Amino acid sequence: MNYYILHYNSNALYQKGARAILNTNSTKPIYVQIAEWIESEILNNHFQANQKVYSQYQLAEMYTINPATAAKGLNLLVDENILFKKRGLGMFVTDEAKEIILNKRKNQTLKRLVQELVLEAKRLQMNKQELIEMIQEANDEEVGP
Amino acid sequence: MMSLKTTNLIETVKNQYFFKLKANIDSFSSLVGIQILAILFSLGGVGSSGMGGAEISVNVKHYSSDMIFVFTLIWSFITAVTITTRPYRNHDFSFVSNRLSSSLSNILFLGTASLLGGVTCILSGNLVEIIANVFLNQQVYSLTGGASHIILGIMITFFYLFLFSAIGYLVGTLVQVSKLFVIVLPVLFIGLLFLEASTSREPFLSNLFQFFAMEPNISLFIVKMVLTSVALFTVSLSILNRLEVRR
Amino acid sequence: MNVIECKDLEKLYFRKRVLNNLSFSIEENKITGLIGRNGAGKTTLLKIIAGYIKETNGDINVFSERPFNSLNVSVNSIFVDDHMSFPPALQLGEILEEAGRFYPNWNAKLAKRLFDYFRFDEKGYHNRLSKGKTSTFNMIIGLASRCPLTIFDEPTTGMDEAVRKDFYRALLKDYIAYPRTIIISSHHVNEIEDLLEDVLLIHDGKKLLHLPIGELKEWAIAIKGDSETVVKFIEGKEVLYKNEVGVNTMYVVVKQDSPGSLKEKAHLAGVEVVSVPSSDLFVYLTTDAKGGIDDVFKNN
Repeated sequence: MNYYILHYNSNALYQKGARAILNTNSTKPIYVQIAEWIESEILNNHFQANQKVYSQYQLAEMYTINPATAAKGLNLLVDENILFKKRGLGMFVTDEAKEIILNKRKNQTLKRLVQELVLEAKRLQMNKQELIEMIQEANDEEVGP
Repeated sequence: MMSLKTTNLIETVKNQYFFKLKANIDSFSSLVGIQILAILFSLGGVGSSGMGGAEISVNVKHYSSDMIFVFTLIWSFITAVTITTRPYRNHDFSFVSNRLSSSLSNILFLGTASLLGGVTCILSGNLVEIIANVFLNQQVYSLTGGASHIILGIMITFFYLFLFSAIGYLVGTLVQVSKLFVIVLPVLFIGLLFLEASTSREPFLSNLFQFFAMEPNISLFIVKMVLTSVALFTVSLSILNRLEVRR
Repeated sequence: MNVIECKDLEKLYFRKRVLNNLSFSIEENKITGLIGRNGAGKTTLLKIIAGYIKETNGDINVFSERPFNSLNVSVNSIFVDDHMSFPPALQLGEILEEAGRFYPNWNAKLAKRLFDYFRFDEKGYHNRLSKGKTSTFNMIIGLASRCPLTIFDEPTTGMDEAVRKDFYRALLKDYIAYPRTIIISSHHVNEIEDLLEDVLLIHDGKKLLHLPIGELKEWAIAIKGDSETVVKFIEGKEVLYKNEVGVNTMYVVVKQDSPGSLKEKAHLAGVEVVSVPSSDLFVYLTTDAKGGIDDVFKNN
C-alpha cells in the first residue's frame, strides 16, 4: 500500500520536472546531488527522524537515473550517519540526522563558500574592512539588523 | 533477473515453421500465378492430328499438363533459392533461432510448398480438361482419371518438387558462400549439356534423368527421391551452419 | 553471476584486426554503456555476443555458452539495432504476435501500450516506416521481449528528442520493474549516462576502461585559468587535453589520482575547476592529438 502511494508521487514529481533539480554540468556527481537533496528535505522537515526516505528505485524513477547511482547517494548518507538501513524495509532518517546536516553545512559547505568569498575578494584587491562591510549589508537585507 | 528460459530445437523449429508459412505467403500467391499462366498456355494444346474419310473427318487435339508441371518445378526451385538469400536468413535472427533450426524450418516449409504445389499441379491438369470441355466445347477423352491416379500423381509430383527445392536450396547456399557460383553453376550445367550433345561418351545428365524418371517401381522411386533430397539438404545445412549472419 | 565472459577475443575481417585481445566480463542485471569511436569495434563485439558472427580467436561465453548457434543464448537475448529486419509480408501487428510466440517473457500488454502510445498502425508495414519510427518499433520489441540480456546498438537512430526521452524513461521503468542485463551502445553519451551503471570504453578493438560511471566521472577534471598558473599547477600530472583560449587563458584536462583531490588544491592555487562532460572525456581518451582537431590547423 505504502509503495503504491509513493510510486504515484514519484511519477508526479517526474512530471513536475524534478529532473530540473539535477545539474548535469556541475562538478558534483549525480549521487552527491541526490544525497544533498535528501539532506535538504530533512532540513526543511519533509522527513522526520525515524521516517522512511525514498528507496533507490523511487529516486531512480523520480530523476530518471540508474538505481545504482541513487543507491550510491543513499549509502553516502548512511556512511555519514544521516540515514540508517532497516533490513528489508529501506532507509530511515536517524535521530541525529538534522544536527549532523546542519553541522556539515556550516563547517564544510558554508566554510568553503566563505573561503571562496575571501579568495575572490583578494583577487579583486578588496581589503578586509570592505569585505566585512559588504557581508554586513547583505546580512541586514536578508535577515534584518 | 528475468528467469533464464530454455528452449529446444523442436519447439524453435515449430515456431519458425508457422512463422515462415505466414511470412512467405507471397510464394503461394506466385504459385497460383504461374499455374494460371501455365494453364492458359496449355489450352493451346500440344499436338493435333487429323484423319479424314469419305463422310467423316476426325480432328484430335492433344492436351498435356506437362507445361504446368515444368512451371511448378521451376517455381519450386526459385522459391528454394530465394529463402537462402541474406534477407530471409536475417529474418530468423530477429527472433529466436540458430542455423540448424533455420534450415530445418526451411525444409519443412519447402515440403509444405511442394505438397501444395503437387496438389494444385494435378488439379490444374484436370482443370485444363474441364475448360476444354466446358468452354471450348470439345468432346474430351481423358487418359487420366480415377482417384488413385490423382493421388499417385500428387505424390509423384510432390517428390519431384521436393527434389527440385533441395537442388534450389543447395544452389542458393553455394551462391551465399561465394557469388562466383552465380556464374560457375550455370556454366557447368550448360557446358555439360553441350558436351553430352556433341561427344559420344557416356552421357551423364541424361543417365541421371533416366535414373529418376524411368524408375518403374514406385517404392524404389520414392526411396531414390527421398535419399537424394535428404543428401542435398544435408550438404546445404552443413554449409549454412557456419555462415555468419551479418545483418 | 557473469552474464558475459570475454577473454582475449579477436576478430579479423579480411586481415583487419577489428577486435584485438579484448577481455572483460559483464555482471547480471546491470545497465552497461558500450562507448567508443566509430569503427572501434562496438557493433562487431555486440554481434559476436548475440551469436550473429563468429569470433576468430579467444573465448566468448554468454550464459556460460558459446553464443554462435546456441538456442539457449538466442532465446534469452535480443539484439536491437536499426538493421533489425522482418519479413515484408507481415504487418506490424503480426510481427508483435510472432515475437510473442518466440520469446517466453514477452509481455503483450506492454507491447500494445507502447505501440499505441507511439501511434503505430497495426496494419502498417515495417519497410514503410520512417527511420525514427523504425527505431521506435524495434525498441518496443526489445523492451517487451524482456530478455535477460537485452542489447541496444545505436537504438535512437532517427528518433527526435521527445521520443528519445520517452525511450530512456520507458527503458528505465521497465528495468526497475523487471531487472535484466542491458547493454547500450550510443553516440549520445551525455543523454544516456544517467541511465548507466557501468561504462565499457572500447578503442581500436581493445578495452580502454571498464568502470562504474560514478568513478568515471571523477576520473579526470578540467582546469581553467591564467596560462602560467595552470602550467605550474598541472606539473607532474597526466594531461589528456590542452587548449589555449584567448591570449593568456588555458583549458587543460588532467587525470585525478583520487576523486576530489585536485578540487581543493585548485581553489587555493587560483584556478577554476570545471567538470568534464563524459562525451568529451571519451574523445580525449581516444585521440592521439592532445590539442584535438585544432592541431590540424596549427601553423607550426
